[in-house]
Amino acid sequence: MTIPASILDIFAAIMLVVATVSAARLVVARPWLRGRGAVGADIDISHLLMAIAMAGTLAAGLRTLPNDAWDVIFAVLTAWFGYHVARDARRAGVRALSGARCAPHLVHTAAMLYMFVAVTAPAASGGSGMSGMGGSGTQTLSLPILGFLFALILIGYSIWDLDQLSGPGASGHYSLAATRIVPASASGAAIPALAGAESPAAAFSGLTSAANTASPASTASPASTVSAASTVSAASTVATVTPPAEADRVASCDPDPVPGGAGYPLLAPWVATSCRIAMGITMALMLIIMI
Amino acid sequence: MAVSGGRAARRGGLGAGEVATRAAPDARRMLQLALAGVWLLDGVLQYQSFMFTKAFGQMLAATAPGNPGVIASPINWDARLIEHHAVALNAIFATIQLLLGLGIACRPTVRVALGASIAWALAVWWFGEGLGGVLNGTASPVNGAPGAVIIYALLAVLLWPADRDATPAPFTAARAVGAPAARALWLVLWLSQAYFALLPANRAPQALHGMIAGLASGEPGWLGAIDRSAASLTSHQGLTASVVLALALAAIAVGVYLPAPAARAAVVLAIVVAAVIWVVGQAFGGILAGRATDPGSGPLLLLLALAYWPARTGAVPRSLGQSQGHAADGLPT
Repeated sequence: MTIPASILDIFAAIMLVVATVSAARLVVARPWLRGRGAVGADIDISHLLMAIAMAGTLAAGLRTLPNDAWDVIFAVLTAWFGYHVARDARRAGVRALSGARCAPHLVHTAAMLYMFVAVTAPAASGGSGMSGMGGSGTQTLSLPILGFLFALILIGYSIWDLDQLSGPGASGHYSLAATRIVPASASGAAIPALAGAESPAAAFSGLTSAANTASPASTASPASTVSAASTVSAASTVATVTPPAEADRVASCDPDPVPGGAGYPLLAPWVATSCRIAMGITMALMLIIMI
Repeated sequence: MAVSGGRAARRGGLGAGEVATRAAPDARRMLQLALAGVWLLDGVLQYQSFMFTKAFGQMLAATAPGNPGVIASPINWDARLIEHHAVALNAIFATIQLLLGLGIACRPTVRVALGASIAWALAVWWFGEGLGGVLNGTASPVNGAPGAVIIYALLAVLLWPADRDATPAPFTAARAVGAPAARALWLVLWLSQAYFALLPANRAPQALHGMIAGLASGEPGWLGAIDRSAASLTSHQGLTASVVLALALAAIAVGVYLPAPAARAAVVLAIVVAAVIWVVGQAFGGILAGRATDPGSGPLLLLLALAYWPARTGAVPRSLGQSQGHAADGLPT
């Protein structure tokens, strides 16, 4: 009993699109030119790697690396996002675990790690490993309850992301304007402060305001210790951000800005979130299929 | 480097001012999202390899016997069709369910998706579940009677994004259809389950034992052990177990007509019963054994119970976000 290859190929194709988009975001953002300021690049890197790994799992012909290599890659990514979540939890408490910062990425990478570590080769295929689910046997996962829980959480995040993306304040705010950056020289020493939001609602409320660029200057309320250091002033379509604490400056788990005055729709936050939704659903599908 | 408005707000604007521009989803929207999640899980389950085989069609055909001809004939026709076109039709079914989940989660399409989910659920209830065994005497609350999928439709109706009355509703489920209708629907659902629990097929000495023991096969060790223990407990106790279950279900049914504290107790009892049925009686719908077509009735009954949780202040606020031209659930008013 196997799933028709054509079905799996469709999901593999979706993953290839996600990988392509994530790679394009990295190329456009050029994070390697900005060193520690290149916050958020880890998201696109993790999306790229996860999408490639999932495409290879769904379609044997797209397999790239051996399972052991993926084990190491996703262990590193899980540790990376785990570190960020732990750091956020120390500062902001449990909100960091339920918020839209690093926690979803931690779940995604941990689910990938689990999937590669817990998979058991089908007897019918002679232990060919995780080289696509359309082979001669259906692969299964050890500790299936863990796979089920991961699937539930992934579905939950996907549903939440979609709800937030489609909210009344969010419509039309995932456009060029949302990613427009002007050079640092225009505002002195201000730098990108991708502190992100402390909760899903807050995360997207920032996006919500993207089109409301005519709002008067405002000072952010210190909703948490993470955001307390950032003072924002908005004037017309351009705002400046004063440097937050160093730790915040290197905070991750948020879409990356791009240097230069032009807007980049590809770097709009909704693009990364859409990739996350697509991967979350596909990953849940794979986990359920392999239970 | 400076950032345009949206960015700036995103970075530093995490305070109350920005957050206030976007009301958090209200209770009804949260329940809608949970329903969307269940539909999405349903769609994902439908992509399991088993569903692409003839066995899926045969499983559907097994729901026809015992039903009146007018009900059974379309089921048999549908099952044969699926047997012959298992891959194409199952792929369509799975995609529809996936889209229903995504549609409910996406605010602009929530009405369309909820409406479509009602139609789809009714069709599946007939063609896929044989009306939940209601007409052939095999329905049991333990196996999900009157059919898990009909609860999807019921939830879609109760969580419809509209408010029937200008006055605040006493619980979330009353917002769309009004409190009397919502209570009546609750009463019918739980009383029907109490009735099914007392059917001859369910109160036979070994009926419940056999039903639970049959779940253990293929489940992980710990879940199989739970099922075997429960089966052992109910061995030759079919009548007693059925009566106890029926009394609990009847108490739940009338609970929503009682004052708020008693209504809360009834809802809590409903949640407990739903959880026990889901774990012990349905083994999580068979998901861990790889044979589930849906997660079972447990999560849906749980959602339903939450929709009837009495508001603390005696009324559910209707329009927290209407100052922005949207209801609290984010839908246009």
